[in-house]
Amino acid sequence: MSEPSPIVLVIDDEIQIRRFLRTGFELNGFVVHEAGTGTEAIRSATLRPIDLVIVDLGLPDMDGADVVERIRSWSSVPIIVLSVRSNEAEKVHLLELGADDYVVKPFGMAELLARVRVALRRQMRAVSGEPTVKAGPLTIDLAARAVLLNDKRLTLTPKEYRLLQVLAQHAGNVVTHQHLLKEVWGSIHVHDTHYLRIFVRKLRQKIEPHPDSPKILVTELGVGYRLVQSGNELDAPAWPESAPAKSET
Amino acid sequence: MHDKLKFDPIRSELHGVLMTLGLVAALTAVLFALVWEVGLAHGSVVYLIPVVIAATRWGIVSAVVAAICGVLASAFFFYPPLYSFRIKDPQEVIDLILFIFVAVAVSQLATRLKRQLEMARQREIDLRDLYAFSRRLAVAFDVSDIHAAIEDHLASVMQRNVVLFPSAREASNSSGRRAGVTVPELVLSEAAEVASGHRDTTAGATVTAASGEIWLVRAVSPKSPEFGVIAINLGRESKERSDELRVRVDAVLADATATLERLGVAHAISEARMRSQTDQLREALIGSVSHELRTPLASILGAATVLSAAPALRNEKKLTALVHDVRDEAERLNNDIQNLLDATRISSDGVKPHVEWADPADIINSAAERCRHRLADRHLIVDLPADLPLIHVDPVLVQQALIQIFDNAVKYSLSGSQIAVNAHTHDGHLIIGVTDQGAGLTIAEKTKIWGRFARGERHAATTSGSGLGLWIANAFVAANAGKVTAVSEGPGLGTTVAIELPVTQAAVPQLESDTDE
Repeated sequence: MSEPSPIVLVIDDEIQIRRFLRTGFELNGFVVHEAGTGTEAIRSATLRPIDLVIVDLGLPDMDGADVVERIRSWSSVPIIVLSVRSNEAEKVHLLELGADDYVVKPFGMAELLARVRVALRRQMRAVSGEPTVKAGPLTIDLAARAVLLNDKRLTLTPKEYRLLQVLAQHAGNVVTHQHLLKEVWGSIHVHDTHYLRIFVRKLRQKIEPHPDSPKILVTELGVGYRLVQSGNELDAPAWPESAPAKSET
Repeated sequence: MHDKLKFDPIRSELHGVLMTLGLVAALTAVLFALVWEVGLAHGSVVYLIPVVIAATRWGIVSAVVAAICGVLASAFFFYPPLYSFRIKDPQEVIDLILFIFVAVAVSQLATRLKRQLEMARQREIDLRDLYAFSRRLAVAFDVSDIHAAIEDHLASVMQRNVVLFPSAREASNSSGRRAGVTVPELVLSEAAEVASGHRDTTAGATVTAASGEIWLVRAVSPKSPEFGVIAINLGRESKERSDELRVRVDAVLADATATLERLGVAHAISEARMRSQTDQLREALIGSVSHELRTPLASILGAATVLSAAPALRNEKKLTALVHDVRDEAERLNNDIQNLLDATRISSDGVKPHVEWADPADIINSAAERCRHRLADRHLIVDLPADLPLIHVDPVLVQQALIQIFDNAVKYSLSGSQIAVNAHTHDGHLIIGVTDQGAGLTIAEKTKIWGRFARGERHAATTSGSGLGLWIANAFVAANAGKVTAVSEGPGLGTTVAIELPVTQAAVPQLESDTDE
């Protein structure tokens, strides 16, 4: 990170959580602002420029979802939600409100940092208008509408390309089933999850080196899909030091 | 019995008399033709036919009308002087007496027979209702099930719209639409009054709603308030009719209450109430305890991961190992708490799957991914055919079941051994098998492993865990209409745990082929 240090706003009512997040972020070159309540967080977000928001769902004065909605009403700053409950419907709801991603508590710092980097990079790409997205051996040129695998051009059907395009626009972040269905097939098909399943299978056959253990177009069960970007933050295990032998698949 | 409630006696009597007149007229026409064509002398006895028909079908009034009309018709058409009601022959007087006697006797007989038949049929219906009711009571799990059963039973016996309010609170909070019946505001407030005991409830009160419908509101049983308050729509009836109906309601309710008491419903209700209170308390306790435990755990785990990556510890091998221990133990504790929470969820309100079309490969891959850390020193082999059918399940529940099975496989096998995952379809089912090379199962263990808190006794000293894993896996798969099976060649020979899920072949959706190209 040779750029100026990114500023992250951590919103959580538990001081112990804030403390380890502060240490973890600072060790990785971030500047940290803290807020213990939703009101404080919203004031803080309006007063100072920030590059990223981490928000806990259980705040004493308001629902974390409200904070997401309020911040999203004026800012496109990346938002990552910390959720205690591993409730898929809630995750989908938060993503639809405009959160970029979520991490389920308890989580490791490496996992959170990986999500943060993806979100920051997406923001940077959105600002610079960078037209190509790389995901492992896959390159998607959004301007030329071309998809290359190991520099060889792939032939995709219009729907397959549209699916990949929507995922590439959110590269690294999870995209909900509903959003994909709406963007690719139109809002009347928003519940036809099987369309997605069948097309993702076809698409994986074309873009994945090993379609039966996908590494590029990965499933977030019950929520959506994620195009895993190169740079490999997400490929790194959540506990980097303790995965001696990579398990075979 | 209930027919009488809807029965309009005058109209049906009139119908019978008209039918009788028609019958007599038709018969007269036929006889008239016969007398002229064939030269038949007297036809008067034939008029017994309409008398008997009317007596058996439409009752005594129609039968007497048939008798009189028959005699008149034969006097008019067939006895001299023709076309006059005057009678010369005393034979006709005897005919008339005979006809009327037959009419009365046959109709009496027929009525008695009909009544007996009706009673037998009603008894049969009552018995069937009662049987269905007692069966519903037997499977009723909580108070609302029991009340719903009472409500349906009374509605079917009364043949009226019946709404049952278990308590005053229920009546005053009610939205006005219950069990598909719209209940007027006035009736609701009356029911609340009666249920709260502010009113002498033995006789019940009638309420006339804005629509003109009369509702009877009363306690089901004055002795047992736990049966609740009942509101019956009597319809738009005259004062006399509705009084008549009230008498019937009294009789039916007295019957129903006796039945309820005999079946021990009051006891069942109070027991179910107590059970649900205990459950709520336990659920609240476990819920809050596990929340209180998980919050500090999140801090411990998070802090440990920050520490383990800290530059200051990079060359401190022993300290790093300690930090890893903190992290691993915290993670294990977190899994145990998650299991307890899942177990509470299963036994308190059941598992409600959120089904969608899912790719089995996705479920298996993400379960393996979630277990990557725990599976790190096992040799995991995933072998899936490319053409697995989509399944209609809650993918997250199936994934969690698989994670439990992976966990179990790791727990009872040695480091470095192999764990194989495969899937295939067989006989309309998708079967996902997880095979380890671990401790295997004895015959006794095969039946025991599905119990709650079941732990392998042979390994109790060497392995940790709550023993909830397979029980949870089984419950999550069962919620998706599937089952979990375990096969082992014997102790030390490894175990295959398999998840079986239905593949609804016909229902597997197909894309129209032109959606893409």
